[in-house]
Amino acid sequence: MMVLRTLQRTPLHGYALAQQIKRSSKDLLQIEEGSLYPALQRMLKDGWLKAHWDVSPTGRRIRVYQITAAGAKHLEHEVSSFERMLEGIRFVLDPEQA
Amino acid sequence: MNFLQQLILRRKLDRDVDDEISEHIAEKAAELEARGMPPAAALLAARREFGNPALTAEQSREVWHYAPVEELLADLRYALRQLRRAPAFAAAAIVTLALGIGANTAVFSVVNAVVLRPLPFPDSHRLVSVLVRSTQGGTPHPEELSYPQFFEFRKHTAAIEHLVSYHDTSMALSGAGDAVNVPSEIVSWDLFDALRVQPLAGRAFQPDDEAAAAHTVILGYQLWRAKFNADPSIVGRTVSLNREPYTVIGVAPRDFVFPLGNRDVQLWTTLAVDARSNTKEPMTEQAGARFLQAIARLRPGISIPRATAELDSVEAALGRQDPDNYLQVPSTWITPAVDSLVGDSRRPILILLGAVGLVLLVACANVANLLLARTAEREREFAVRASIGAGRGRIVRQLLTESFTLALAGSAAGILLAIAGVKAVARLAAGSIPRIEEASIDGRVLAFSIALAFVTTVLFSLAPAVRLARMELISPLKEAARGNAAGGGKFRSALVVFQIALGLVLVSGAGLLASSFGQLMRRDVGFRPDGLLTFSIGLPRSLANVPAHLAFESRVIDRLRALPGVTDAALAVPLPLAGDELSISFNIEERPSAPSKHPVSDIAFVTPDYFRTVGIPLQEGRGFTENDNASSEPVLIVNRAFADKFFPGENAIGKRIEPGATTDDARNGMRQIVGIVANASQDALSSAPTPIYYYAAKQLPWCCADYVVRTTGSVAALASSLHSVVASIDPSAPVYGVHPIKETLSKAFTAPRFQLLLLGAFAAIALLLSAVGLYGVLAYAVLSRTREIGIRVALGANRAIVLRMVLRQAALLVAGGVAIGALGAIAGNRLINTIIYAPPMPQSILLTAAALILVITAAVAAIVPARRAAAVDPIQALRTE
Repeated sequence: MMVLRTLQRTPLHGYALAQQIKRSSKDLLQIEEGSLYPALQRMLKDGWLKAHWDVSPTGRRIRVYQITAAGAKHLEHEVSSFERMLEGIRFVLDPEQA
Repeated sequence: MNFLQQLILRRKLDRDVDDEISEHIAEKAAELEARGMPPAAALLAARREFGNPALTAEQSREVWHYAPVEELLADLRYALRQLRRAPAFAAAAIVTLALGIGANTAVFSVVNAVVLRPLPFPDSHRLVSVLVRSTQGGTPHPEELSYPQFFEFRKHTAAIEHLVSYHDTSMALSGAGDAVNVPSEIVSWDLFDALRVQPLAGRAFQPDDEAAAAHTVILGYQLWRAKFNADPSIVGRTVSLNREPYTVIGVAPRDFVFPLGNRDVQLWTTLAVDARSNTKEPMTEQAGARFLQAIARLRPGISIPRATAELDSVEAALGRQDPDNYLQVPSTWITPAVDSLVGDSRRPILILLGAVGLVLLVACANVANLLLARTAEREREFAVRASIGAGRGRIVRQLLTESFTLALAGSAAGILLAIAGVKAVARLAAGSIPRIEEASIDGRVLAFSIALAFVTTVLFSLAPAVRLARMELISPLKEAARGNAAGGGKFRSALVVFQIALGLVLVSGAGLLASSFGQLMRRDVGFRPDGLLTFSIGLPRSLANVPAHLAFESRVIDRLRALPGVTDAALAVPLPLAGDELSISFNIEERPSAPSKHPVSDIAFVTPDYFRTVGIPLQEGRGFTENDNASSEPVLIVNRAFADKFFPGENAIGKRIEPGATTDDARNGMRQIVGIVANASQDALSSAPTPIYYYAAKQLPWCCADYVVRTTGSVAALASSLHSVVASIDPSAPVYGVHPIKETLSKAFTAPRFQLLLLGAFAAIALLLSAVGLYGVLAYAVLSRTREIGIRVALGANRAIVLRMVLRQAALLVAGGVAIGALGAIAGNRLINTIIYAPPMPQSILLTAAALILVITAAVAAIVPARRAAAVDPIQALRTE
């Protein structure tokens, strides 16, 4: 979900994506950078992302990932169900507020 | 992306992931370096941050994997490696399967071509054969139609779209190169319409082509190519047939075959020929002349029973009008046209298919046996795999994959065998089974053999798989290398018993056919076939030129007699072994009966020297002489079977009968029987002698007599000189159908010989495989008991005891197999008894002989392992552990 959300803002390559996620989660999520790649492949396979090889401003060969229409739709669905879930959790934790 | 694309793109995807990961690490390192870290430390830190690149790459790749296929491929690779590691096992299994599957594929391709394939016409399921049922002479049998009957049927049918009559003839084609005789068919006009076939060139027949004056003909493709250089302008031109001008109106398509299964027929003309026949009344008006077959196209949705009911009522009406010529019972005989084509060939072919199926079972049992032995050897391997985490299902699947790989390799080899085999089989049976020349490995046959590969895989890997699934996988690890190697021994023994039983069924079946065939070969044909040559001359003949014809024939006979080596020459129709071509009813003077109740018998027309030429001995009375001519008293000679059947307990000589065959009124009437000759075979395959009565050719000249010549010299040399002899008298007269009688006889035996050879080959394969199976089980038992035998010998058992021990095991297996097989053989032989032509030896002798063959084969297979056991050196044996 995070990957899709991040890529929705702008297409990125793997390394940049990892850095971006790290920054946006304020370094709270300490994940191995490598674990990003299987996830990317899965999303490629499901058609939520597409990828192409490009050259970065620093002259590096990079593989840029871009969200597809299907990916965007899936993200929307995920976000709303995530929000519903949060809603549910909030209700359980603090029934009065709900 | 479907999984196929993924498989193809796999390499690129893998490379992308690898590149991406290394770029990622490089970028990270570069960034850390930029922040002031030394390069080596930066690379290390980048790697640490990243995690395990190999694992990441692997996991990324796995996303794309299609697990079942991946595992299958892995299994397949592993299976191939396993088989390469055990080449002897693999070769034995593949050869066994190739024999089994190859034989099955070959036989199935015959079944496919002969029995299963529909007729090559649109909506061919609506094509039926139309005949009438006759009960004359006991068992009901189909009988041909007469023209008046055919016309009535054609007029009064709502159920039938087209009803087409046809019968064979032959026509002399002259004026286009050498005169040739062409097998031809006389049909009613709508043949092509009924079959829904468009001529390749020109047009089909039309109703007015049936008018007596019409002379139209359609050429066969082969004839058109051979005689007219495939010239399309032949349509509309005139050709000379039987010395009459005919207009070619069309050329049949290349693959057009009619009558069904008869590729020789290359000319089709209409029944106009019969409408202008030079008989007393035209053939088309003779209600007693039943010689027509008919094929019909039913209207859509009409069933055979419905069409039968309709024609039955027409037949019944005919019977009321003309009780002399028609039975007064509804008796139409309508069958699917494809059935009437396949006819009697179906049963033997299906029996052969069953037999070859048994061969496959024997082959499967053999491979199962091999696999069981191998599974036992590999128990440790499986245990190791299980202990490092392979699921039991996974191991069984691995085993199944190996089996399937074997089966596939076996099928591939089998199909290659079958491609070669089918041609040989078709050649063996040529002429005796319709459409067999069309047998080939087509899609359906391929599908069949692939299905066979699947079925065989299941059959032969069932036992090892079940055993493996039940096996305590860990225990072999604890045991010594050759743990419970005797495991599966019982099951393997059961397989051998099963093989021997099937082997006995096949061997005794082959024995039955062999014995019947031997009987057939020894059967006395009633004449002396050696040195006899028969042939025909294609000359049209009409009443108007009978004297000229008789003169021509006697000149030919005289010339033939003058040839060196020739002792006799005569004319006859039909020739011996030519089948029961002509049969005519007659009235017995002493016991007259109504015309429809008249007895019927075969007839023949012969010249006086015929009996001497062919070698049929005269038993009573006199033979024909040159004085038995048109002006002398009408006489007949009958054979022994005729005398016995129609004059039982009496002397047939001097009796008088009135046959229905006449060519002019004056010759009608009673004829006296003046001689009785021995029975000579008209049909080499029929067991009972057929009654026949002979006319003197001069007293009743008949169309198209054939020549028979006896020589003391070479039949082949005589055959090659015939053309010049005939050409010296009339160069436009084609000589055809030149056959040594020995050859005719040998051809007649094609079907039984084919059946015998095939079943014999199957039995031999089964025998071989059973022997190999028995050998395998015994050899394995001896190997796994080496230690035990060593101890026995060390403790004082002598070699004879060891030898006996192994042989006793073999004897038990064989005895079990023979006992079970005997039951199967009795059932199988009952089936085979329905397709044989001559009585075989008694069942008890056949079974004993078959069992003996199996016991001898088994003994040969058993002696090697038994001697090996006896030769076990106790010291060596104990040291092997």
